[in-house]
Amino acid sequence: MKMNEDQHPEGEGLSRRSFLSWGIFLIGSLVGLVLGGSGLMYFLSPAWRKKDEGWIDVGPLASLPSGVPTKRDYVKRKTDGWMVVEGRSSVWLLKDGDQLTAFDPHCTHLGCPYRWDDSKNSFVCPCHSGVFSKTGEVLSGPPPRPLDRFPTKIANGSILILPEGKKA
Amino acid sequence: MKNFLDELDERTGWRKVKETLLDRKIPKGVDWRYTLGSMAGFLFLMQAVTGMLLAMHYSPSPDHAYDSIRFIMDVVPMGAFLRGLHKWGASAMVVVVVLHMIRVYFMAAYKYPREATWLTGVGLLLVVIGLGFTGYLLPWDQKAYWATVVGSHISEQTPIIGAYVGKILKGGDELGAITLTRFYAIHMLLLPMTILGLMGLHLFLVVWHGISAPPEKIKSFNPEGPGWKEKLHHRYLEMKEKGKSFFPYVVFKDTFAIALLLAVIAGLALWKGAELEGLADPTDTSYNPRPEWYFLFIFQGLKYFPGSLEAIATILLPGLGVTALVALPFLDRSFRRHPFDRPILTTVGLAAILGIGFLTFQGLRSPLTNPILARNPLVMEGKRLYGDLKCQYCHTLDGKGGHIGPVLDEVGSRRDAGWLTAHFRNPQQVTKGTVMPNFNLLDNEVQSLVAYMSTLGGGTYSPKAPPLFEERCMVCHKLHGKGEEIGPDLSSIGQYRDAPWIQTYVTNPPKVNKDSAMPPFEGDLTPAQIEDLSHYLASQRAGAAPKGAAKPVKVSSKKK
Repeated sequence: MKMNEDQHPEGEGLSRRSFLSWGIFLIGSLVGLVLGGSGLMYFLSPAWRKKDEGWIDVGPLASLPSGVPTKRDYVKRKTDGWMVVEGRSSVWLLKDGDQLTAFDPHCTHLGCPYRWDDSKNSFVCPCHSGVFSKTGEVLSGPPPRPLDRFPTKIANGSILILPEGKKA
Repeated sequence: MKNFLDELDERTGWRKVKETLLDRKIPKGVDWRYTLGSMAGFLFLMQAVTGMLLAMHYSPSPDHAYDSIRFIMDVVPMGAFLRGLHKWGASAMVVVVVLHMIRVYFMAAYKYPREATWLTGVGLLLVVIGLGFTGYLLPWDQKAYWATVVGSHISEQTPIIGAYVGKILKGGDELGAITLTRFYAIHMLLLPMTILGLMGLHLFLVVWHGISAPPEKIKSFNPEGPGWKEKLHHRYLEMKEKGKSFFPYVVFKDTFAIALLLAVIAGLALWKGAELEGLADPTDTSYNPRPEWYFLFIFQGLKYFPGSLEAIATILLPGLGVTALVALPFLDRSFRRHPFDRPILTTVGLAAILGIGFLTFQGLRSPLTNPILARNPLVMEGKRLYGDLKCQYCHTLDGKGGHIGPVLDEVGSRRDAGWLTAHFRNPQQVTKGTVMPNFNLLDNEVQSLVAYMSTLGGGTYSPKAPPLFEERCMVCHKLHGKGEEIGPDLSSIGQYRDAPWIQTYVTNPPKVNKDSAMPPFEGDLTPAQIEDLSHYLASQRAGAAPKGAAKPVKVSSKKK
């Protein structure tokens, strides 16, 4: 074997050389695949991570007056990575017959907190005098679109809203 | 194409680089033992890549470090695997670097002209140990916390300047937030930068001098006399001529060895994973602090040097060891390289390996003083949430807290998991007119709180537990005035022992207390019976009549 190698350094060496080169390439790729593959999956995972659906209980349906927009405050606990952040927020609820609407409590103009004005029978924004109807349509002022709405559902007699699912 | 490569060569000189690095000849006899250096280089790369990825989801503060690691382990895709690679990679790094050093030591490859290569290697070994020590603390779990407590106390035993060393290491008097950020910066920035510099120097020297040829016996080659350095150099060139080119012959062996190494590490990462113990708890007295296996020889060595002599094992001997490594190429300067031609150093080396190996083995075998009690992570999480949510504003537990809501000391034996779950999801729905607000708790928060509440007062037990106790335990134990007095009276056991402790004890008493005279009930009673009994006993309070017999409650399904 040794003799052979010495006698035919060119022929034997070349084929052995390319065999080893291919071996290095293949084994190296495998190593790279294990490390690079798992690393890439880890790195890119936010791209396909599902958004958390956080339905929030904003109290019983039964005690909600009919036909008058009512503000309900709630505490929202939300996971933020490894943390849980707690925020206070509110929602305007309107029960009309069996129709339930939940309005985002921020004016669609620049995000100010509007309120319900009984005497005017409309929502009034204190910032730039935006006025919305009971159903959220723009009556006057600068707001570009009707009030945003949250998806709602009823479970066990409680109203649940999904602030992340806000629709214009 | 040809043209492009020529153009590129003019700008970068890659042909010359390739010639120097890949086409250089390697002396004959360079075999698998020589792959250790490449393996260490690969491990550095792997640790760097996995470390960078882990850092993307890590928060170096005592408030969040543990949770962020939990997040990596449970939520991030591939997170547990990559952390496993990083953890086992660290162990592998120590093994590979030490083996590499052992090879160089016995082959005396540190001799002329490679003394500087050896010195950078010793530096690299120290940096690797430093990386191991600082990496430890980052998860902020029990092991992390206690190992660092011990480690920093050891540093304080340094003669004269000890107190300062300890403070500098910890960033203050106490182990806390500053220690964590300090270790993080050292682990992530200082040491990796240092290792990069040293590695660059080390590799440059390896290429500059060429890989050392295997040692020859004096009998077959003796360069004695003036000009031995030149003779050695010529001999090296001869060996090199007979050898093969670095690429692909040596590179193939290296690549193969690296792939094998990765397979082992990946296997361990998948099979054993990277453990994450409970959150660091400075008040815990039942924990058994144990260092990572590569520090076990120091851990074990401490046991032989009591009191004031301790610094011998912690500072003096390791210090002498490092000094010896640094001094080695300056003390042993002859041209003799074969192990059989240097009997004294070969013996010293073997003795050191055997000594450290023996201490490590003894350390591994040394028994744990405290029993390992199964802890339910949900319960610990629930306990933490109880504080975070400020439940004590309204509720009293262990005599502390407000009086708006009910006292919770025995809530676990009053309410089952189903009731508790419904209660936490919507208090008003379960208890009409309650003032407890709806916290809109997340699902896992509800689970943790239910698990914790279920343990209060010992938890729920089946109606079978009291008669079982009467039948099997009252032969020796007294409970509220009934039973014999051979063993201790158990009427108030629930005030000082929790259910998991009692369960472990009843199963096998010597595991918890070596001198216990109580027979083990493992095999005699079923595990379910023992668990049931342990809840019954954990609910016993002084002055309270035996409960359960009159008002049995449902057994909650316990999740582990």
